[in-house]
Amino acid sequence: MKIPELQARHVWAIVLIGYLIPAFIPLGMSPVISSATQTVYDTIQALPPNSIVMCGGGGVFAFDLESSAGLIAALKQMSKLNVKVVFYPMWIETMQFSKYCVDSARVDEKYGGPWKYGRDYVILPYIPGNEVGLVSFLNDVKKTVSTDYAGTPISQLPIMDSLNNYKDISLWICAQWDGVTILRYVTGEYGIKVMWFAQSSAYSAFGPYMQVYPGKIYITNGALGGAQYEKLNGIKGLGHAALDSNVVFTLMFIGFLVLGNLTMLYGNKKVEK
Amino acid sequence: MSTMDSISRFVRTRITRIVIVITLLSAVAGYFFSSPEINNLNAELNLWNMNIITFTLFIGLITIYFSYSKSVSQRSTNWPFRLYALVLIIVWIVMGLYSGLYSDMYQTAFLSTKITLHIAILGQLIFFYLSAMYRTFRVKTLRTGILVIFALAMVVLNSPITLSNWSAADQISYWLLNNPGMGGARAVVLASGVGGVVLALRILMGLEKGALRATGG
Repeated sequence: MKIPELQARHVWAIVLIGYLIPAFIPLGMSPVISSATQTVYDTIQALPPNSIVMCGGGGVFAFDLESSAGLIAALKQMSKLNVKVVFYPMWIETMQFSKYCVDSARVDEKYGGPWKYGRDYVILPYIPGNEVGLVSFLNDVKKTVSTDYAGTPISQLPIMDSLNNYKDISLWICAQWDGVTILRYVTGEYGIKVMWFAQSSAYSAFGPYMQVYPGKIYITNGALGGAQYEKLNGIKGLGHAALDSNVVFTLMFIGFLVLGNLTMLYGNKKVEK
Repeated sequence: MSTMDSISRFVRTRITRIVIVITLLSAVAGYFFSSPEINNLNAELNLWNMNIITFTLFIGLITIYFSYSKSVSQRSTNWPFRLYALVLIIVWIVMGLYSGLYSDMYQTAFLSTKITLHIAILGQLIFFYLSAMYRTFRVKTLRTGILVIFALAMVVLNSPITLSNWSAADQISYWLLNNPGMGGARAVVLASGVGGVVLALRILMGLEKGALRATGG
């Protein structure tokens, strides 16, 4: 018996089923905490009160959504520690992404959280220039940015009083695709610790930076890392929701690989282009 | 050659080259020397660079607007989509200016349209991944066999179901990333870095014909 070749419409149908399975039959996967994720948690937990944590990088909102799981949990954690957070939007959509994460974490006082804008966190405007803007900011904050996103002069924002240059930054958290620029400059040039809630594809490409800068850089692994971070903070969010899909599609990957090879061995020789 | 052409040629070939050389040298000097004067010059040029990048956003907007307007007026291919884009550009600008980029209204509109559509597009990628697994990961030779083994290893070792049941999976995938993976990645990064230095030197020496149309005459 010959195995017939699957057509594109069959693959589409199976993908649709793959998307629906976790929605109707939740698998309830619970992640095991990796050492890198645990270290990120411990590092943030050990920050003294009033430490300034920069949070930013360059990314595209939809793609960075995978990283939001870890960042939202981290914002919740930092809001309990009285740590100050300054958001640094390096790409245009990062500003909207920052607002999304702050709103989702429910840390602002308008949601009943402990944070007050200007005192505990600030969102800077889009800072163009990628590496150029970043270096300029690290060398002289006040010369690089004069207002926040809304045009409020930074002299009127108490949190910015104690942020003048890279020496005032205790930690940099990145939850964007272009975290590698942050690693190369913030850690590579200025020696600041970086915790990166990376997408799984970014983790695969840039994970070895943890070995290059031991003790300075820790990277979590995509939605899985986000789920681990949620678990450490005792919450369930997007990371946990993505785990079930991750399992379903991992099994599908293996299934398609096996099926493709079986079709090659026992099927028709003509393959759909 | 007219006077205007001569001036244009002078600006394009000489002035641009002088600007490139000064900015490149200031960046290099700012990195290698700790002189306050050089650092100040470098910082000032960085700020200029940021301003120019911001300005290019407006240039891009204006260029797109003129290009699409021409396309719509001439009813060229896909003109309805371009008209749609033009309308959207105006709507988003007006909304941003009226309500502010950080307002709940702007954010809701942004999440409900652009982001949701973008997520849908990214979600479709899984179809291509699965299709690629089925069609191209067929073990016909030793090389494809090795490729399949490593691809499968990264998928399986990073899966929550594997990590939940086998704690060593994390260490194995990390070792693969840090050793065979990093060896190849470093080769690419070093090669591109050396290439970048050589290109910069060629631009500085005026050998790179056509770079920014500044050195080719």
